Amino acid sequence: MTRSTRADAAKRLPAPILQVKDLQTQFLTHDGIVKAVDGVTFDLYPGESLGIVGESGSGKSMTALSLLRLVPDPGKIVGGKVLFRDQDLMQISDEEIRDIRGRDIAMIFQDPQSSLNPVLQTGFQIAEAMLAHKKATKQQARQRTVELLKRVRIPAAESRVKDYPHQLSGGMRQRAMIAMGLANAPSILIADEPTTALDVTVQAQILELLADLNQELGTAIMMITHNMGVVAGLCTRVLVMYAGQIVEQGPVDQIFENPQHPYTWSLLKSIPRVDALRHERLRSIEGLAPDLLRPPKGCRFHPRCPFRVEKCLTDLPPLTEVKPDQLAACWVTMDRAKKEMGADHLLDIRPGAASGLEPGKIIP
Amino acid sequence: MAATAAAVVTRPIAPEQASLWSDAWRRLRRNRLALAGVIYLTFVVIVALVSAVWTPYPTFQVGVGIPYAAPNTHHLLGVDGLGRDTLSRLMAGAQISLIVGIGTQILVLAVGVPIGLAAGYFRGAFDQVVTFLINLFYGIPDLLVALILVFLLGPSLTNIIIAIAVTRWMDMARLVRGQTLSLREREFIEAARAAGAKPAKILFGHILPNALGPIIVQATFGVPAAILFEAFLSFLGLGVPPPTPTWGGMAAEGIVTIRISPAMVIAPSIALSLTLMAFNFLGDGLRDALDPRGRR
Repeated sequence: MTRSTRADAAKRLPAPILQVKDLQTQFLTHDGIVKAVDGVTFDLYPGESLGIVGESGSGKSMTALSLLRLVPDPGKIVGGKVLFRDQDLMQISDEEIRDIRGRDIAMIFQDPQSSLNPVLQTGFQIAEAMLAHKKATKQQARQRTVELLKRVRIPAAESRVKDYPHQLSGGMRQRAMIAMGLANAPSILIADEPTTALDVTVQAQILELLADLNQELGTAIMMITHNMGVVAGLCTRVLVMYAGQIVEQGPVDQIFENPQHPYTWSLLKSIPRVDALRHERLRSIEGLAPDLLRPPKGCRFHPRCPFRVEKCLTDLPPLTEVKPDQLAACWVTMDRAKKEMGADHLLDIRPGAASGLEPGKIIP
Repeated sequence: MAATAAAVVTRPIAPEQASLWSDAWRRLRRNRLALAGVIYLTFVVIVALVSAVWTPYPTFQVGVGIPYAAPNTHHLLGVDGLGRDTLSRLMAGAQISLIVGIGTQILVLAVGVPIGLAAGYFRGAFDQVVTFLINLFYGIPDLLVALILVFLLGPSLTNIIIAIAVTRWMDMARLVRGQTLSLREREFIEAARAAGAKPAKILFGHILPNALGPIIVQATFGVPAAILFEAFLSFLGLGVPPPTPTWGGMAAEGIVTIRISPAMVIAPSIALSLTLMAFNFLGDGLRDALDPRGRR
């Protein structure tokens, strides 16, 4: 791609609706500081669906909670900016951020079983989301609740309004949660692993619903998940997080086709495939996610990386553009690993196996 | 089409609109002791109401019968030392007991619930102060606090209620604080916060309804405790001042002459005991009915 077409592409992109700059969230524990979110920077464009993937503890949920300043207790947002409609969400008052929550940026959670108040009628809870922001009168709210329940395809919406959460199935509860999220027609919907607690067929229905709503209403969706399949099905762009940092980001097709960070590459390798050959073994990533109390020096992934080189042990790689629109934080990148280390034919994926920098040979 | 088919299939299977409360009421009715308690308490309430407009003899009038007379056809429960009709005074005493019991719990709820909610939800310095106060009040003997307060404020019905509430608010505050501490970590509270709900809305709209069961049970057990405490104060002569009839006061007057006229002690004692028992049965029944784990 030449310079001029790149510039054209940039021009065609609308202004980002949400800009996150160097976000830092830390937990002060008895043993020290845990950097749950460590310098995360990204943009969210209107109407797009962005996936955030990573293992448990990679900081993806904390990133989402930080955006709305909902970080749970020992946690603190210690730095960074989140620009939304010309204001920094980290600087505005508690009242102002409360107005934004649910009205402009809504969030749905992992477990619909526990995110609905068990003693309140489902419809009442949805109506309340509108009344909290004075978006409607009681009468209008009640009417719109039925519309919303229909919109998220809950059958017999008129009578379901009065049901308590325990009277709904898991899938219906998550639909109700989504209806609640959409109640005020927010411009951003953050979905924190919305399908994890559901069984596979219901998962597919919920994802389809989210995709349709994204198309029809133009709501930007930020999908937090550890499931690459969910990203492939729903998202147009993806961020890959590891140990509180973004290690790779770019268009979904491009990243699935040609990941540049060894972590992304390994993640994609570890997905079971229906069309896998019989003798092919399912690969897992060797080692454990790092202890964020004492993160490794240099690149955070180097203790588990088959392609690490000397530089990885000492210097933290910056997130740089490796391909058009695709950013990766890696000194080696997969292009080089494939060319020089034969990554495509690699059988041994122990740390440092491909580059020859194996654990025993590390010179401190 | 699919939607209507699903509606046809799902609707009849779904249980009747069984809210927590109608469910609890159904289970309460099946509990015979609790039901007996409810019936007896209804009777006491009716007696108290009737006594406000009618009693067999005027409550305060002395000399309506022969002093220390045993129960007879004119005075079903006998006559006290000043020649007042015991039954009439017993009926009027129900008023005081109920007012004290329920009034105290209203005060306790009004103080304990908001304090407990705020302490459990906001935690921090406020919680520490509240916890310290709770422990402090638990440390001082109830009777001492009540005696000092009655002494300072002067004995009157309102002051007695205030004094008893001061010795009882900690139970409620501690219960509500504990409930709030566990409820605030639940995901639906996080979801409510993410939806932009204000703290007051979260406390009273989301946390309180979930804690209501234990609160009701606690308040129900609090009523007989307060009634007993008032009777005790009256017995010591520090309760609602005479000539207002109270069960504790009547028993105190009768105790000196128990050999001459035992009815003077026995009548208010039985009335008191039955009322306490009825409230306790009701409390037990409510606890079972409102406990979702004991659902039978």
